[in-house]
Amino acid sequence: MRKAIMTLVALMLMLVPGTAFAQASDGTVTVVHGVPGLTVDVYVNDALTLEDFEYGTVTDPLTLPAADYDIDIRVADADPASDPVLTELVTLPAGANATIQANLDGTGSPKISVWVNDISTTDAGNGRVTVRHTAAAVNVDILANDGVLFGDVANGVEGVADVPAADYNVKVTAVGDPSTVVTEVPALTIPEGTNVIVYAIGDLGAGTFQLAVQSIGGLHTAPGGVPSGTGGDLSTGLPAWLIASVAIAGTAIVAGGTKAIRQRG
Amino acid sequence: MKAAASLIIAGLLLLAGSLATWALTRPVPEAGDPAVFEQALTAPTIPMAPSNPLPGRSETETGTPDPAPDTALPRFTIGAHPLVDNRIPISLRIPALGQNASIIAAGVEQNGDMEVPDNVTEVAWYKYGPAPGEPGSAVLAAHVDLAGQGPGVFFELGTLDPGTVIYVDFDDRSTAAYRTEARAVYGKEALPTEAIFSRQGPPVLTLITCGGDFNRSIRRYDSNVVVYAVPFDNPLPATT
Repeated sequence: MRKAIMTLVALMLMLVPGTAFAQASDGTVTVVHGVPGLTVDVYVNDALTLEDFEYGTVTDPLTLPAADYDIDIRVADADPASDPVLTELVTLPAGANATIQANLDGTGSPKISVWVNDISTTDAGNGRVTVRHTAAAVNVDILANDGVLFGDVANGVEGVADVPAADYNVKVTAVGDPSTVVTEVPALTIPEGTNVIVYAIGDLGAGTFQLAVQSIGGLHTAPGGVPSGTGGDLSTGLPAWLIASVAIAGTAIVAGGTKAIRQRG
Repeated sequence: MKAAASLIIAGLLLLAGSLATWALTRPVPEAGDPAVFEQALTAPTIPMAPSNPLPGRSETETGTPDPAPDTALPRFTIGAHPLVDNRIPISLRIPALGQNASIIAAGVEQNGDMEVPDNVTEVAWYKYGPAPGEPGSAVLAAHVDLAGQGPGVFFELGTLDPGTVIYVDFDDRSTAAYRTEARAVYGKEALPTEAIFSRQGPPVLTLITCGGDFNRSIRRYDSNVVVYAVPFDNPLPATT
């Protein structure tokens, strides 16, 4: 770590549009550690909530009431009263699913980033892939099955796409140069109804570049219908015996009636 | 005159008897209580209360003394999430219908419908939903019939009454028994897909095929026949 850096920026999360979560008074927070070479303690509103948090680790999501939170990050086991390495005031809106990340900016300085995760529903059969460039590295292309999924991605920028649920070969390459591969994931599984969020973290020049992955499931929707018959063999009419006995009954009634009329006449 | 009258009376009796017999014995589309399943599978999960609000910032303090912060705080956890290799259903047996069919994993069509392979001898399992026995509705769909292939595995699904035992065999050579509990016929547009494809709630095995009236010009049935089953030893899902 170079120097303790103090950032006191009130960073507002984007308000979640729509009314789907209007009643929810909670938000969800996940923490991602993307600053290499530093194990930290994380304080929320001056309370230690995450100890000995290591580079490359992603926490489980934590449900918190929607509110403003002071996030302080200190070197592991540092005096809680000491100046934090990083500090940020984060607003968690109701219904939001946010990720708070410590990462390097494009020049290699640590910072706190706040991301709003896309938890809108996915179409039946689809999953979602989110890629976030949070490493000290040049702009990159993100390739899925050798096609450019997100082009010319800079530090601090994310790409989000809904794709059919499947395994994908994912490559991070130099911009416009698919042969210069920075890193490759041979088979990244994008499950149906799940947002798989991949973070590029570390410092490419220093050899600490790697990926961290967060998954948010439960975004699925149901198929529209179940088409399961084109034959028309299913008999939906009246049974043959009923038709036969009604015919016999009818004949008897008609015959009796005719006879009666004849006898009268 | 007498003969004519008895002929008419006999005719009327036969007519009434036939209609009464038909009314009593004709297959009814619904059986059991399908609404129980529609409810149990779509009941909202109770949201986890924000167990312990963090101390400090907000002014919603209720005047109670500050709790001991270390015990009251929710903490971030870093979970180990081992990959669970769930068992996959491979065959379905319905002894009451004399059916024993292989199950294949199926997804969705381009238009968003569930994929049901064009083979009347196979059953499709909706692979994105739960496997039989997992929470929620495990969906097994099969064609009632197909043009050119004739009747399918689920041709007689509409006659399966509550209490019928069916079996699902899995790829790990295990078998689970299910007991049918309810049968429903839904118009295609009224199919309760949220319940039928639910991934939460009690474990339910849901069998689906087509039924209702057949439109010969578009070669489509206008309804879906759905049979709900529960693990053999389980009680019905509770109504709310």
